[in-house]
Amino acid sequence: MPLRRHAPLLTAALLLALAPPVAGQPVQITDMEGRELRLARPAERVATIPIPMASTLIALDGSTRRLVGMHPLALSAIQEGILGRIFPEAARIPANITAPNFVPNIEALAATRPDLVIQWGGRGADIVRPIENAGLTVMLILYGTEERARRYMRDVAIAIGRPERIEELVAWREVVQQRIAGVTSTIPEQRRPRVLYLQRALSGLVAAGADPEIYNHFVIELAGGRNAAQGLRGFTPVNAEQIAAWNPDVILLNSFEDQLTTEFVTRHPILSLTSAARGNRVYKMPLGGYRWDPPSQESPLTWMWLAMLLHPERFDLDLRAEMRSAYRALYGHELTSAEIDEILRIASQGEAANYAAFRAR
Amino acid sequence: MSQTALALPRRWQGEALALPLLAALLAGAMLLALTAGRFPIDPLRAVEMLLAAPFAGAPETMEERIVLLVRLPRVLLAALAGAGLAVAGAALQGVFRNPLVAPQVLGISPGAAFGGALAILLGISGALMVGLAFAFGLAALLAVGLLARIGGRTEIVTVILAGLVIGALFGALVSLLQFVADPNGSLPAIVYWLMGSFASATWERLGLAAPGIAAGLVLLLALRFRLNLLSLDEAEARSLGVRPERERWLVFCLVAAIVGSQVAVSGIVGWIGLVIPHAGRLLVGHDHRALLPAAALLGAAFLVIVDTLARTVTSAEIPLGVLTAIVGAPVFAVLLRRHYRERFAS
Amino acid sequence: MIGLETAVVRFGGRIVLRGLSFQVERGRSLAILGPNGRGKTTALRAALGLQPLSAGRRIGPDVVGYVPQSVSLAHPYRVLDVVAMGRAAGLGLFGQPGAADRAAAEAALARVGAAHLREASYDRLSGGERQLVLLARALATGSSVLVLDEPGSALDLANQARVLGLLDTLRRERRHAILFTTHDPNQALAIADDVLMLMPDGGAQQGPAGELIAPEPLCGLYGVEMRLVRLIGADGRFRRAVLPAFLGAVE
Repeated sequence: MPLRRHAPLLTAALLLALAPPVAGQPVQITDMEGRELRLARPAERVATIPIPMASTLIALDGSTRRLVGMHPLALSAIQEGILGRIFPEAARIPANITAPNFVPNIEALAATRPDLVIQWGGRGADIVRPIENAGLTVMLILYGTEERARRYMRDVAIAIGRPERIEELVAWREVVQQRIAGVTSTIPEQRRPRVLYLQRALSGLVAAGADPEIYNHFVIELAGGRNAAQGLRGFTPVNAEQIAAWNPDVILLNSFEDQLTTEFVTRHPILSLTSAARGNRVYKMPLGGYRWDPPSQESPLTWMWLAMLLHPERFDLDLRAEMRSAYRALYGHELTSAEIDEILRIASQGEAANYAAFRAR
Repeated sequence: MSQTALALPRRWQGEALALPLLAALLAGAMLLALTAGRFPIDPLRAVEMLLAAPFAGAPETMEERIVLLVRLPRVLLAALAGAGLAVAGAALQGVFRNPLVAPQVLGISPGAAFGGALAILLGISGALMVGLAFAFGLAALLAVGLLARIGGRTEIVTVILAGLVIGALFGALVSLLQFVADPNGSLPAIVYWLMGSFASATWERLGLAAPGIAAGLVLLLALRFRLNLLSLDEAEARSLGVRPERERWLVFCLVAAIVGSQVAVSGIVGWIGLVIPHAGRLLVGHDHRALLPAAALLGAAFLVIVDTLARTVTSAEIPLGVLTAIVGAPVFAVLLRRHYRERFAS
Repeated sequence: MIGLETAVVRFGGRIVLRGLSFQVERGRSLAILGPNGRGKTTALRAALGLQPLSAGRRIGPDVVGYVPQSVSLAHPYRVLDVVAMGRAAGLGLFGQPGAADRAAAEAALARVGAAHLREASYDRLSGGERQLVLLARALATGSSVLVLDEPGSALDLANQARVLGLLDTLRRERRHAILFTTHDPNQALAIADDVLMLMPDGGAQQGPAGELIAPEPLCGLYGVEMRLVRLIGADGRFRRAVLPAFLGAVE
């Protein structure tokens, strides 16, 4: 049964702590870098420079209506995944408002006449000041952890005058996290599979370190696993021998490299001898409305997915139903069975261990 | 008769011993490297596996595969690259008559770096990436040659200047690639690759790099006597039957083969070409007949040791270019001081 | 044999050599005299085959025993290694010197009386010793032609005496064609059979040293009045020398 029926209980607490604006009234926000923002009314035209924010905004608004500009790689990510099919009009949204390195193209940005520009915080004033100098309102976000994800989703929801979305999208996350942690926090160390996430594989092996700041580490631990990359910090290059020494039980492959498939591991002379390869527990991260590797509006689905893979006997979830329900809430879209199969990569890894639970009944 | 005529050079007298000792050093370093690693393998077992390898079939167990498919090609590649880069550096220092010259000066490294970065950006890997890096390295050398050719001749100074220009051009192009690269994906990959690493060494990649490096190495070694002559000025060299310009370009092409092949498989590994020849001179003197073999052995041993450190000290792979700089710079400083203290003290 | 045949050399609009011809046969020795800037160096470079000619041709072998004026080397090689360079011509591009080459180098070094310097570092030698080593290198080439650029200049008197004495001995052996440039007419007189004077007007005068090293021709060459002086050599025989008149008259 969908977890979201618990949501209303938490929403009350959240709403009491907030002063939700009514549509048409001025909006006041303190952003994640402590800057005070004031909008005359909720933003109708929003330009997003950080890559994940385009699809976040679409999810928070349930439409592409308010998105007037985005990062070029955000556009390609949308077009690669299902979001481009749900919202084909996204292809016409300008994606030239910034250079790939997040330095804004002020002219193109100004041409989109945004009420609000969302930009990276924590990367210096050089990418922020030019926007402010052009007379535009800038909201800064920080990224990479679950707390930050909830915070920026809340900030953006308020900025666009859709506070009710906070319950649906943010409170939902808390509910799912509590539910999963309730099961996995009691699992002792020795029963937790060693999980390795490879952020890159084809052009050199890069693993996610056992670092609380790394989202993949957080997801692994939440889902009842143990990060195999002990002693590593951040996303760091490693060699095959080190991976062999760690001998992970599960290997997660990134969804950034298109050409990367699980065959990379099963054909690799060293990696194919790991416990993960031998146990058929190599999985490529799904690609939904956004990649499931980094924090996104669909992260709770990622947690459920991994938890079911790591501890199938402890979770009685219907991931397909959860996905359908989530996509309805996020994008107002009815997922077809074929689309779910595509997102979860049933065709290429449907036969992997514990993946049967994800297949259509 | 002057007083100084009888003063023999204050370097190691046991020159004849130097080469065999360096060879022993290299053998020791390689043996150590093959038995060291993050995956625990008994050193004696490792040696057994190595000895049995030519007779056994395809490696089956994890231990065998790690020793024979991961460590062995990597150690061989490091040794080959170290020898090649050191000899290339020594040859260039001889031809340019300048001890501060390194393979970077001809623009080959930046060119090959651009080719490799372009491949990463386009999602190309494997032999094609190696080919792209090698091709751009040669293109850079060609550009230097054309740029430096004035009135049908190429002077050394113009070659250095042209090398700077072409190197700067390709450096700027690499920056351009980094600018358009995906910050989530290819950008960190390019950045890491530029810092140099043998982490991706396999027998296949060794096979791609070995021909260029080996050919350059062997031919430069065969030219070691000639290099003494190439450092003479034009009139003297010509009178001895040498064609300095033509032969210099032969040296440059061989250097390009070595550096292009090495950068193509492992990114930019600096300092070897600059520092090792100096250490070699302290051991065996300036005569290139002794210097080149000594540099080859010393360079190979050095890079094997440094690469072993890069992959065993921490669970992360330390970028090789960083390590060679951290080790190379102070060593170079010490060598420089010793070298000039010797010369000025006389 | 080495020489030039109606060689013409132009630098831009300026003609430096106008149809210069000379020849040095094996067993003979020729000194090129002339004020600076009149083409001494150009003539030498042309004879070495380094200078492209606008007209005329060069006569001579590919490999020449050349002793440059500047004695510094880029790298501090060992003396024996420097001399060994002379063996390059016979080795080809990828050749390494063998036992025979080493022997030839040792012999050449002994020939110039510098065998004791074989292990020394070249950059620690005095100017005179260096020139001897370069002469040994030239001899080691086995070429029958020796070309020297102002031998003995920039050396102190003792070393000058050594180097020039050696050149004289080589001349007497009559095994080489020796070509050299010099500032010093007495040097030419001492060790050259013939002299080539490159005159200020662009012309050239050639003839036996005994004839041309005389006050009148030299005055025409240098524009300085010269005086003939008779000396008695160590062997008791008379020798001539020329000195500039401004030094004074003979007592």
